[in-house]
Amino acid sequence: MSLRKTVLVLAVFAMIAAACGGGTAETTTTAGQATTTVTSGQLIVGVSWNNYNEERWAKWDEPAIKAALDAAGAKYISTDAGSSADKQLNDVDNLISQGANALIILAQDGTAILPAVQSAIDQGIPVIAYDRLIEDPDALYITFDNVGVGKLMAQVIYGLVPTGVYAVIKGNQADANADFLREGFTQVIGDAVTSGDITICCETYTDNWDPAKAQTEMEQFLTQENNKIDAVLSENDGMATGVVAALEAQGLAGQIPVSGQDGDQTALNRIALGTQSVSVWKDARELGKAAGEAAVQLAQGKALKDVSGVVQFASPGGNDLTSILLTPIAITKDNLNVVVDAGWIDQATLCQGVASGTVDVCP
Amino acid sequence: MSVTETTPPVTPQSAEGPQRSSFRNILRVAEIDSRLLGMLGALAIIWIVFHILSGGTFLTARNLWNLSVQTAVVAIMATGMVMVIVSRNIDLSVGSMLGMLGMTMAVVQTEVLPKWLGLGHWAIFPLTLIFGLVLGALVGGLQGVAVAYVRVPSFIVTLGGYLVWRGAAWALSRGRTIAPMDRTFQLLGGGSRGAIGETWTWIVAAVLCLGIIFLMWNARRQRIKFGFRLRPKWAEIGIGVISCAAVLGTVFVLNRYYLPENLAKRYAIEHGIAYPPGGLQIPLGLANPVLIVLGVAMVMTFVATRRKFGRYVFAIGGNPEAAELGGINTRRTLVKTFVLMGILVAIAAAVSIGRLNAATSGLGTLSELYVIAAAVIGGTSLLGGIGTIPGAVLGALVTQSLQSGMVLMGIESAYQQIVIGIVLVIAVAIDSVFRKRATT
Repeated sequence: MSLRKTVLVLAVFAMIAAACGGGTAETTTTAGQATTTVTSGQLIVGVSWNNYNEERWAKWDEPAIKAALDAAGAKYISTDAGSSADKQLNDVDNLISQGANALIILAQDGTAILPAVQSAIDQGIPVIAYDRLIEDPDALYITFDNVGVGKLMAQVIYGLVPTGVYAVIKGNQADANADFLREGFTQVIGDAVTSGDITICCETYTDNWDPAKAQTEMEQFLTQENNKIDAVLSENDGMATGVVAALEAQGLAGQIPVSGQDGDQTALNRIALGTQSVSVWKDARELGKAAGEAAVQLAQGKALKDVSGVVQFASPGGNDLTSILLTPIAITKDNLNVVVDAGWIDQATLCQGVASGTVDVCP
Repeated sequence: MSVTETTPPVTPQSAEGPQRSSFRNILRVAEIDSRLLGMLGALAIIWIVFHILSGGTFLTARNLWNLSVQTAVVAIMATGMVMVIVSRNIDLSVGSMLGMLGMTMAVVQTEVLPKWLGLGHWAIFPLTLIFGLVLGALVGGLQGVAVAYVRVPSFIVTLGGYLVWRGAAWALSRGRTIAPMDRTFQLLGGGSRGAIGETWTWIVAAVLCLGIIFLMWNARRQRIKFGFRLRPKWAEIGIGVISCAAVLGTVFVLNRYYLPENLAKRYAIEHGIAYPPGGLQIPLGLANPVLIVLGVAMVMTFVATRRKFGRYVFAIGGNPEAAELGGINTRRTLVKTFVLMGILVAIAAAVSIGRLNAATSGLGTLSELYVIAAAVIGGTSLLGGIGTIPGAVLGALVTQSLQSGMVLMGIESAYQQIVIGIVLVIAVAIDSVFRKRATT
C-alpha cells in the first residue's frame, strides 16, 4: 500500500515538474520574442549542440563562443540534441522561434540537418556549420583544417620513420573526418608508399573511435606482422590509448612512434613519457572565438564572402563552401610548454610518472 | 498428447538410420550435451576457416593467447546474463554499467585514494576493487528491486539503467579519459606482467584435471548410493580422459606463447642473464583475466546447478506461477540474480580498465549486445528456464573468434557487424530447429 502511495506521489511530482518545465519554456520563448521585437538592438545567437555530453563543448567551446558574443553585446541561447538528428531539427526551429538572428550548428548528421539549415537561411537567418561539415553552400563552415591535422600527424611520424612498415588506425567510417585525416596522411607519405620505402601492412576503420576496439585491432596487427611494425598512424588520442596499451604488452611502447590528435590530457602525459610521439592540438577556444565573431558579423547583415578570414573549400560532396579553416598545432615532446602555457593542462598532470630531466617542461 | 504413446519403439527407428541413431545413442547413454558438442564443432570450423583464410596466423599460440584475453570481459558478464535470461528477464544496462563502474573505479584509484594514501600505495588495489564490487551489487540490486518488487518489466528498468549509468559515467569524468591505472590494478587486465607463468599454469591445469576426475567419481558414488542408473564405464573413462586432455592441450598451446622479445631482453638485463642468440623463451602462461573467467565460470556453474538459489532461478524461468505456488520467494530470488549480475559487471569492468590501462566514458558501449549474443549463442533460451554457464562462455569465445579473425583478415567493421548479426540469428535458428526435433 505504502509503495503504491509513493509511486502516486512520484507521479504527481513528475506531472507538476512537467507542467512547470513547459511553463518556463513558454515564458522564455515569449521573452525572447519580446526582446527581438521591442529592443531590436540586441543580437541573439542560437547554438545547437549535437551532444553536449562531451567534455570539450562545455569546457572550452561554449565559454569561448559566449566570450566572443559578450564582447559584441550579443545574447547566447542554446539547445542540446542529445545525439539525436531528429531532435536537432526541432532544436533549430526552436532557436529560430526564440528569436535567434544567427545560428551556430554542431551537426549530429550533416545531411539530415540540411532541411532545417535551408529553412533558416530562407528566413534570412545565417547559419554557421561548427566543426562538422554541412553540405550547404549558403552556410559558413568553420573548422580546423582536418586534412591539415592528418598532414601534421604524418609529418612528425614520417620524420621519425622515413622507411618501414606502417599501421593505420582510422576512426569511425561514417565520420567524414576519418577520411580527411587519411587524406592528410596520403599527402605526406603517399610518395614513399608508391616508391616502396613505406609499406602499409594494416589499415582499418574503428567503430565509434573506440579505444578498446583499437587495442584489439593493434594486438591483431602485431600478431599478424609478428611485431614487425615501425610506426602507427592513429587518427586520435583515444585510439592511441588502446594502441599504446597493445604495444606496452609487447614491450614496444616508446620504441614505435604513435600519432594522435585532440590534446587529451592522458595523451599529453604519454608524450612526456615518450610512449606517444605527437598529438595534434586544436585549440577549441580559437574555434569558439572564430564562430562567435563570425556569427555576430553575419547577424549584422554581412554577406558570407565578406566575413573576415574566409576561404573557399571544396567539399567532398562537390560543393564550394565558404569556410574559415584554422590551423592546428602539432604537440611533441619539444613544445609541450605550449599546452601548459595556454592553461590547457597543468604541469602535475602532464608530468605524472615522468622521470626528471627527460623533457624540459617537467622538472 | 502423451509423449510415451507417440514415441515409436527403439528398434524400428534404429532400422531406419542405424548409424545416426547409434551415434545419438552413444551421446544419450554417455549423457553428453549434444548442444555443447555442436558448439565445439562450430568453433573448430570457425578456427580452421580463419586459420586458412588468414594465411596461418589464427591458430598460433600468440593469437589464441590474445583471443583468450579478448574474450574475458564479455565471458564474465555472459555468465550472469544466463541467470538473468533464465529467470525470464533481460539486462540491457550491462554495457553502461560497465562504463560507470569502470569510471568510478578509475576515479577512486587515481584521484580519491591517492589523496589519503599516496600514489602507488598497496591498499589502493584491494580498496578500489571492493568498492567497485559493492557498488556493482548495489546498482544491480536497485534494478532488481524495481523489477521484482515494483514490478516494472526488466526490459524497461534496464533500458532506463542503460541511459542512467552511461550518463553517470560521463558526469563522473566530464568526458575525460582517466589514466594510468594503479600498477597492481593493471595486472587484472593481463598484459605481459599480468600472467601467472608456466609452472603455475601447469598447476592450475593439474588441479582442474583432478577436479574433473573427483567430480565424476563423486557423482558416480552418489548415483550408486541412491540406486540411480549409472553411465557405462567406457563413457566415464572416455569423458574423463578427453576432458583432461583438452585442459592439458589448451595449457600446452597457451604455454607456447613466450614473453615478447623486447621484454625478454629487458628481463635478461634485469636478472643478469646473457641474452641467447636464439632468443629467451619464457612462457607467459595463463593471463589473469582468463584465470578470472575460469574462477567465475566454476563458481557460477556451482551456484546455478548445486545451490538452492540456482535451482530456484531455473524453476522460476520454467514456470513462474508454479515456482511461486511451490513456495519459492520469487521476488527475493530475482533481486539476487540482478545483484549477481551487478557484481559480475564490476569484475568485468575491473578487467576492462586494467587491460586498457585507462577508463573512457564510452567504455563498454554496445557490449550489452555482445553479452546477450554470447548467452543466446551459448544456448540460453529467451523464453526462460534453459541455459548453461559453460555454454555462455563458449558463446563469448565464438563471437570474439569471429571478431578477431575478421580483424586479422582486414575485413571492414561494417561487414564484421553484418557477419556477427547473421551468425547470431543462424545459431538460434539451428537451435530451435533441433529442439523441435528433439521434442517430437
